[in-house]
Amino acid sequence: MAATNSKSRNSAQRGARGHVLSRLDRWRSYRDHHRSTLTSSATKILREPLQSLLTILVIAIALTLPAALYLGVENIRQLSGGVDASAQISVFVKKGARESALDALSETLEGLSGVASVRYISAQAAVDEFEALSGFGSALQYLDENPLPDSFLVQPLLVSNAERLVTDIRQLNLVDDVQLDLEWLQRLDALLDMGRKLVLALGAALGLGVILVVGNTIRLAIQSRRDEITVVKLVGGTDAYVRRPFLYSGFLFGIFGALVAAILLTTLGFWLAGPVDKLALLYRSQFSITGLGLGGVVTLLLIGGTVGLIGAWLAVGQHLRKIKPR
Amino acid sequence: MSMIRFDNLSKRYESGYEALRSVSFEMDAGEMAFLTGHSGAGKSTLLKLLMLIERPTSGNLLINGKNLNRLPHSKVPFYRRQVGVVFQNHQLLFDRSVYDNVALPLQVAGYSHGDIGRRVRAALNSVGLLDREKHNPIALSGGEQQRVGIARAVVHKPKILLADEPTGNLDPQLSTEIMALFKRFQDVGVTVLVASHDINLINRMNMRIMRLNQGEMEQDGISYGGY
Ligand SMILES: Nc1ncnc2c1ncn2[C@@H]1O[C@H](COP(=O)(O)OP(=O)(O)OP(=O)(O)O)[C@@H](O)[C@H]1O
Ligand SMILES: [Mg+2]
Repeated sequence: MAATNSKSRNSAQRGARGHVLSRLDRWRSYRDHHRSTLTSSATKILREPLQSLLTILVIAIALTLPAALYLGVENIRQLSGGVDASAQISVFVKKGARESALDALSETLEGLSGVASVRYISAQAAVDEFEALSGFGSALQYLDENPLPDSFLVQPLLVSNAERLVTDIRQLNLVDDVQLDLEWLQRLDALLDMGRKLVLALGAALGLGVILVVGNTIRLAIQSRRDEITVVKLVGGTDAYVRRPFLYSGFLFGIFGALVAAILLTTLGFWLAGPVDKLALLYRSQFSITGLGLGGVVTLLLIGGTVGLIGAWLAVGQHLRKIKPR
Repeated sequence: MSMIRFDNLSKRYESGYEALRSVSFEMDAGEMAFLTGHSGAGKSTLLKLLMLIERPTSGNLLINGKNLNRLPHSKVPFYRRQVGVVFQNHQLLFDRSVYDNVALPLQVAGYSHGDIGRRVRAALNSVGLLDREKHNPIALSGGEQQRVGIARAVVHKPKILLADEPTGNLDPQLSTEIMALFKRFQDVGVTVLVASHDINLINRMNMRIMRLNQGEMEQDGISYGGY
């Protein structure tokens, strides 16, 4: 067993010594080149701290802004999640509806999708409540008949469902009028929707900025290594070989930028956590701030790395072609 | 079959200038020849065509029977690995050691660490600079730098060795030494083509000389030598 092992190792060495490279050798050196390119790209970034720091900071800020806005929107959304329960739809029934018809309507309402619960309020109950709450009780006594209709209180599962439910209910038989309370909740929802869109727009714009910044940094790197690129090409370096260190730098810039952004966001979270907790205490709320979390950090790193890579890729595609020989 | 074959090759630069006009010649494997001619005659252009730095406007260039015109862009690096080239301005990289400069063609081709070490030392030994491997090339003399360039050109044992004015600014004795070095590579079967306008030196070498004039092959034959 040991004998065959050493024999195969010997022949492998002989193969490497000859003109023909074995597939394994090629793969090993390919992997080695990736590894050494990664470390040399990293040391190059660290060796020119000023230029690199500038690039990294710009990337970090560009990632921090939309990420902070995103976290803000998410926190408010969580906060407002608790008030879904207070969105209610009042359904007023036409006068003179029969008992059986009311039962049928109640069932229909409960059967609608997106409905959490339905509560019946008879006309009489409504009057009693009105009298108790308004103090105009005596005024009602002068009227011949009860001016208030029978009604249902429909509780939607989500605030966002309410609008659709109102249109659906309005088309039902026997329904006279429908009213949606708590418009402010919808406004908040719309605001949150806008916030989310703003995150996307800001993220896209700043992402483009990062691509340009990384692209410019890589362009400078390519220019300063012109001689090296020429020589590497003349001794038979493939395009992929020439590209590799620049792609790694772009990727690393993105990763470092994302790391700094994560640190900034975490600091921001800690800084806000105190005041928010105090506020929550005042309102007797369980709410506390939700930070980036591990998943958020990983996402941020992925986005940073990808955007950096894209920037480098574009710069490399554009500027390497200009260096002779092709 | 000839190693290098120019078949009515012409090269017109984008400026419209015709640097080579219908040049034809052949070189056998293991042959050595000099390329000479006045400044601007087209020597460097001819070597650039051989390195695929430039592409011919018309005519065919065959290496080992294969037509380079039909070589796709993606195969060009692999062709260049069969060729070694020495430049007039030696194009060494001053951000790394002599060793790393010479190792470059091997790294690019994906040789293993141990293999690279062995081959680089052999190449440096053949140009007499083994003791300088750790130096930065900027600390070497012009002649030494030129020899590092030669070591880099031969480290991957190319089939063809090209040199453009390799003795450009060296004194006569160093020039003779460099030429002797090229001769040694020819002796082990490498096809060697050296562009130079150092007529005295070339004549002394007693070898095939091709002379370009205004982009045309004016003369092609063995020098009389004996000076
Ligand atoms: N990239 C280029 N674009 C346009 N013209 C060029 C280019 N390169 C060379 N030429 C022209 O082609 C002609 C031949 O140039 P080449 O460099 O081949 O000459 P040479 O024989 O090597 O000269 P020297 O001995 O001075 O090095 C020259 O007139 C030169 O001006
Ligand atoms: Mg020239």
